[in-house]
Amino acid sequence: MSYTRRTFLTTSAAVATTAASASLLTPRPLLAYIGSRPEPVPPIQDPRLKTLVQRALDAAHDAGATYADVRLTHSIYRTIGGVPATMISDGENMSVGVRALVHGYWGFAASAIWSDDEMVRLGRAAVAQAKSNDFTRTRVVDLAPVPVVQDGHWETPVRIDPFSIYPVELLDYVQSLNLYVGRFPDALVNFNDCMLQTQRKAFGSSEGSYYTQQRFLTQGILQIQVVNGRTHEAITRNLDTLSIAGVGLELYQEQPIRDNIRRLVEEIRTDLALPFKPVDPNRYPVLLDAESVGQLVSATIGAATQLDRALGYEANSSGTSYLNDPAAMLGTYQVGSSLLSVTGNRNEVGGAATVQWDDDGVHPESFPLITNGVVQGFQTVRESAGWLRAPNLGTSQAAAFRSTGCAYARDATDVPLTHTPNLVMQPGTTSADFHDLLRSVERGVVMRNLTVDMDFQQLNGFAMGDAYEVLKGKRTARLDNAGILFRTPEFWKSLTALGGSASARRFGRHVGKGEPRQDSYHSVTAVPALFKDQTIIDVLRKA
Amino acid sequence: MSRRTEAFDRPSPSDGRLLTREEMVRIGDRINGFATGDGSSTVQIDSWWAGELRWARNRVSLTSDRRDIRVSIQRLVSHSVGQAWTNQLDDVSLQAAVHAAERAAQLRPQSRIEDFHPPSPMLPEATPTIWSDATFDATAPMRGTLATSLVSRAEAKGMLSAGFLRMYGSSRGLLQELRGDVAAAGKGTIRYNQFTVGECSMTVRDPKGMGSGWSGLSGFDWAAINGERLADQALEKCLMSLNPVAVEPGRYTVVLEPQAVYDFVLPLVGMTSRGAAESGQGPFVERFDPALRLYRTKLGLKIVDSRVTISHDPNDPLLGVIPEPGLVPIVWIDHGVLTTLTNDRPNHALPLLNENVPSLRRNSFRMSGGTATLDEMIASTERGLLVTRFSGVRLLDGKSVLCSGLTRDGLWLIQNGKISKAVKNMRFRESPLFTLNNLQMLGVPAPIFSAERSEPASAIVPPIKALDFSFTSLADAV
Repeated sequence: MSYTRRTFLTTSAAVATTAASASLLTPRPLLAYIGSRPEPVPPIQDPRLKTLVQRALDAAHDAGATYADVRLTHSIYRTIGGVPATMISDGENMSVGVRALVHGYWGFAASAIWSDDEMVRLGRAAVAQAKSNDFTRTRVVDLAPVPVVQDGHWETPVRIDPFSIYPVELLDYVQSLNLYVGRFPDALVNFNDCMLQTQRKAFGSSEGSYYTQQRFLTQGILQIQVVNGRTHEAITRNLDTLSIAGVGLELYQEQPIRDNIRRLVEEIRTDLALPFKPVDPNRYPVLLDAESVGQLVSATIGAATQLDRALGYEANSSGTSYLNDPAAMLGTYQVGSSLLSVTGNRNEVGGAATVQWDDDGVHPESFPLITNGVVQGFQTVRESAGWLRAPNLGTSQAAAFRSTGCAYARDATDVPLTHTPNLVMQPGTTSADFHDLLRSVERGVVMRNLTVDMDFQQLNGFAMGDAYEVLKGKRTARLDNAGILFRTPEFWKSLTALGGSASARRFGRHVGKGEPRQDSYHSVTAVPALFKDQTIIDVLRKA
Repeated sequence: MSRRTEAFDRPSPSDGRLLTREEMVRIGDRINGFATGDGSSTVQIDSWWAGELRWARNRVSLTSDRRDIRVSIQRLVSHSVGQAWTNQLDDVSLQAAVHAAERAAQLRPQSRIEDFHPPSPMLPEATPTIWSDATFDATAPMRGTLATSLVSRAEAKGMLSAGFLRMYGSSRGLLQELRGDVAAAGKGTIRYNQFTVGECSMTVRDPKGMGSGWSGLSGFDWAAINGERLADQALEKCLMSLNPVAVEPGRYTVVLEPQAVYDFVLPLVGMTSRGAAESGQGPFVERFDPALRLYRTKLGLKIVDSRVTISHDPNDPLLGVIPEPGLVPIVWIDHGVLTTLTNDRPNHALPLLNENVPSLRRNSFRMSGGTATLDEMIASTERGLLVTRFSGVRLLDGKSVLCSGLTRDGLWLIQNGKISKAVKNMRFRESPLFTLNNLQMLGVPAPIFSAERSEPASAIVPPIKALDFSFTSLADAV
């Protein structure tokens, strides 16, 4: 324990450069059976891993696959808990998955063993799975073409690799935030967890692509409670600057975290001082902060523009989409006001969904989803890129389409599915921020910290959160049990003003889909926004 | 091997898909050997296999065979607990995980009384047979053939079917009191269990998205799941649900199918926490007793219709509860009276308070029913709604258990004792406490579908007919 908290805090920026020596502190745990005997897992770029991948590809090819791809993943998880219990929990897993295509049917086989024999077994097993289907029932898969990736390597550009820092230093740092919160006599910390993960991945396909990639995701939950000494009312909120992102420990280190904690405490104090008022259900202009708008972009557009979902591939699990005729709706369907433009990407720096290559081997670029209120794109993978012309019938037209790079499998035991990319909402053209928009509201409602429930078609929504009455541009009271009831297209068509680019904020989001269910993360960048004529309800009132 | 073992007298699967008891014992011994210093270890080892088939738009979109392992190691060193996990079984990986757990224990200076769990007593325990060879031995070609049969029914009617078949098997070993010193080696205990889960569900939709029908069933035994029957039900519901009309939100008499009852009652059973009630939270607080300075609970008071009994028996294989120390039969609600609030975790400081057993198995229960059939419920209804299932049920208010959610995949208007038309989905706002006090009829309890649990939890619940169910808004999603 040569580091003290002080040295860690002052030298953290330099830590990345000393990663080589620091890595001695992290255990070198796992084994791979390369050749005939076990040996420590080599670095992900070791050419012998490519040989291992190739062995599975060969086995799948020999068994009859027309296309196959293989993933090796090695994931490391570390959770540092500062409150309620101080704890460090480490976890590590290695997986391998082989996906094989035979006569338009996919087979998949996965396990936890990186060995020559297992590669052969899985390659054959994936083909056997595919061949268990009735080939007389025609199914055509036309993979959109993609340039071959030749031995690419990429790492999330982190400035502070969290796994290069001795865990006690991290614990010490996380606990220092408790001490800081303790300076506020009316505040205490409910939860203080720092969650770190990194994953090394090797991907190879039978088309000759091979890449290795190391990603980092860092996330914090710092939940602070502030109590009003007079009324004993307490409000609990999470610090909103620690949501998941594709960064290292700079998530904590490169923000003015103490200022942000102070801001949160002061915000809660301001709220505590506002009187309560029963909500008067009616239609009001509603102002939402950037985080709530981001939640809504993710819930109403992120899910609905997945092409597999729009075509019914998720009908039995997470649902379908209001964009239920995607071919006809593309370029014509008005999902919102002309102020609304949203793009998807998996290449923004620090994004929670950011990669260099997706799980089809596609190098993703930014692509439009909604442009001036009109649907201009869908999230696709190589298989679905051509579906807009002939869903699942297969045509060579697929060649004319490009995947948007949304294939994602969290671990190699998961089969790749279309998952939400990072979403970016185009800000307004003025320099307005949240407070400017607030001043423009004569009589209305402000909502923050929304929880959004969508139906299984992402069409009808119900959102609850902290609600405030606004009179003459000022928040005058808190509204008890207020919620918004909305229908997605009407909601976005009622958008009347957006915050400017300086008011844009990025948040990490977590979503799930699939059978079996898979989880994924993405970032959403949004601005505060004002909506006219929203239905505000009393959520506890029955019919 | 002098180790005490808890009996689960089935031959272990030998094809390598799951770890056997003997393999787990050996892993435990190796972990024991890697421990340094004094203290003891608790190790949980899970291994699982899944054979899955997914289809959509009348074609199989994926068939898969997957397996994985998880070894969770907890080291108790000098009154401090640390843990780590890995999915690798070689010496280097296990040793690294043991050392990570020990390091975590050392780095945890502020261990509190809650951290000290004495080893769970190895009480005589329930050993339900929640293993089915029919589930574990189902092959990919069997799944493929079944899927073709399920899909072709919908396809023949011009509908689109999407669904999921899943056969899952798992073995779990809990090894306790592994002592690091050599003299005590092999003195630990192991509790080993194997279980299976079978799952079949499907959604049949009209190609234009004008109607949707769902059906599904899960349970440990694949042989008890009739996929063809489910496919017929989903198709029939889809065809019946075409071109729904909107009805006014408001209060309706409802006939809820068992799946809808489960979706709706689950939050209520989930709130039967003694700790919450005694700290003044949740629906089961009676009043604050200033003399005792604690909250009196509603134990012993009638809270719902006297025809309702909600109970849990770990010996009931259909509830699929993995045997664990301390799980005993529980009756939460006995003929309408709240009879048990369970602790979330045992109270070690005050062991005498533990007469009510710790139970987090609140999603496995039986709810009593009656003899009425769905047809009888419909025939006796002048005007009401028939609900297939709910989606996205969420608690709005802990005190009243007011919940919100949506109807999904089949909602019909009942008029003059007959199903008259398909209606558009609606969002509801209602409390199961209210509805279970407004029961008119109860039907024969039946098993329901419980998606993708890593444990074979399930429930047996009746269809019900109840009055004044509150639908608050239209949700015209299909």
